Amino acid sequence: MSDTAKPAVLSLHNVVSGYNELTVLKGVSFDVAAGELVTVVGPNGHGKSTLLKTISGLVPLKGGSISIDGQPTLTKPHAVAALGVAHVPQGDMLFPEMSVLENLLMGAYLAPGKAEIDRRLEEVYALLPKLADRRNQVASSLSGGERRMVGIGRGLMMAGRILLIDEPSLGLAPLIIEQIYGVISELSRSGRTILLVEENPARVADLADRLHLLDDGEIVWSGPPADLLARDELLATYLGG
Amino acid sequence: MLDILMSVLVAGLTTGALYALATVGLSLVWGSMGMLNMAHAAMLTLGGYAAFTATTTLGLPVFAGFAAAILFGAMAGGLLYVLIVRNLLKNDKATFESNVMIATVGIGIALENTILLTYGGQPLKQPLSVDGILKLGPLNLPYQNIVIILVVVVMMAVIALLLGKTRMGRAIRATAQNRDAAQLMGVAVNRVYFQVLVLSGSLAGICGVMVSSMTQLSPPLGNDPMLKAFIMCVVAGLGNLPGAVAAAFGLALLEAFIQYVAGARWGFPSLLFVVIAVLIWRPSGLFGRTQIRRM
Ligand SMILES: Nc1ncnc2c1ncn2[C@@H]1O[C@H](COP(=O)(O)OP(=O)(O)O)[C@@H](O)[C@H]1O
Ligand SMILES: [Mg+2]
Repeated sequence: MSDTAKPAVLSLHNVVSGYNELTVLKGVSFDVAAGELVTVVGPNGHGKSTLLKTISGLVPLKGGSISIDGQPTLTKPHAVAALGVAHVPQGDMLFPEMSVLENLLMGAYLAPGKAEIDRRLEEVYALLPKLADRRNQVASSLSGGERRMVGIGRGLMMAGRILLIDEPSLGLAPLIIEQIYGVISELSRSGRTILLVEENPARVADLADRLHLLDDGEIVWSGPPADLLARDELLATYLGG
Repeated sequence: MLDILMSVLVAGLTTGALYALATVGLSLVWGSMGMLNMAHAAMLTLGGYAAFTATTTLGLPVFAGFAAAILFGAMAGGLLYVLIVRNLLKNDKATFESNVMIATVGIGIALENTILLTYGGQPLKQPLSVDGILKLGPLNLPYQNIVIILVVVVMMAVIALLLGKTRMGRAIRATAQNRDAAQLMGVAVNRVYFQVLVLSGSLAGICGVMVSSMTQLSPPLGNDPMLKAFIMCVVAGLGNLPGAVAAAFGLALLEAFIQYVAGARWGFPSLLFVVIAVLIWRPSGLFGRTQIRRM
């Protein structure tokens, strides 16, 4: 599947998963190489979040395999986190009664020591200065945009090999979406490996190295984002125009 | 008049301290794992008897009595996790709450009866009690009450520091607030559940010693504090620790004053009245979150 020469950080092979009897993903395969930003787009309810949750272990794998740096992932999410998967889930899923700082510290839960935690904090505050100003504010009192930034900051505190980001633009005002995508693009330029889920392919046009179109749990098209945007019939069929 | 008021206050604060200790153990387990531990009462009793055995039967010093209560309470909590809770969690998560409640009712009864068979039903004197009264002018402060309040204040401080300032405590709170997110951060929730039950068990053990030092040791010792603790939890909002402590002291003071003004028999009904009122007007408790994340 891989169309790059670089070794794959994340590799999915015929992934099947879902909830109880409901099968959502019906055999998904693709790779993400080091330093790439790969995007999965697709209509609502077709398995994008399930895909990320399957990678991070929140949804059990029913078939196929997933590996990180060639190592098969484990079944428990905390073990997958230890392998270097940092999942920024849809809807942020912050710890609502904790401060911004404590949320960030939870991101560094597996970090080896105080010095490393401080180093990561500094890095996150440099990228998201607003979080430094708000460090003592309780998460539940933040605005939607601030919450999203805490979610991303917490994911960065994990210092994973790959960052999974689920619909970072969801429910935010256009101006804030622009800020969030500015941050993601900066992360990508600095060489992070990112798997990004987004509903709107136009938003990732000049950002993603590759794009996969997920429809009803299957990848129906893969290629550079610009190619998808030029294909009106695909956009009309899968993304409603 | 003032001295009567003061002695009612001291009595209220003492029961408040006892209720708070029982409530925190119960509330911690509920808040972080959605588990209503009906065996909490028996774990309290176990702590009281463990202290009795260590000091009276084995003749060990007071310190060892406390240690035995903590140790046995913690062991009961740990075993409860390993033998029962862990296995119930493997099954359908949706039915965990009701399953674990029924299972712990059974375990509580079994444990209470084991204690009954081992020690007999006759009340025993808790050796870890202090006699004497501290006279401060017109004020009479029984040493026992002072000890209880001090022990509870120390325990609360320890728990607050543990939950508030340590990595383990942060993981426990994270699990309570968003279990899936905690797992994504690398928290092994099964280990958190084990830690929470061990912690709650050790609190129950100490609480058992304190309660029995005010009264006597008997197998049903833990039932009354557990019932009261449950009331405090409901009033505070299940899973809210600072709220539970506030409710424990507030309701105990209310109970003490009503008992003084209207007679002893009116204490408990007035607590029940408060619970019903709270359930009607603030179903999630006075300080409760509107929703508690379940399994
Ligand atoms: N926790 C869950 N339990 C049962 N079904 C779910 C759950 N989460 C999502 N689903 C179902 O799985 C399908 C895919 O959902 P999801 O992966 O969230 O889609 P997307 O992120 O693309 O909008 C939907 O049909 C949804 O109803
Ligand atoms: Mg989604």
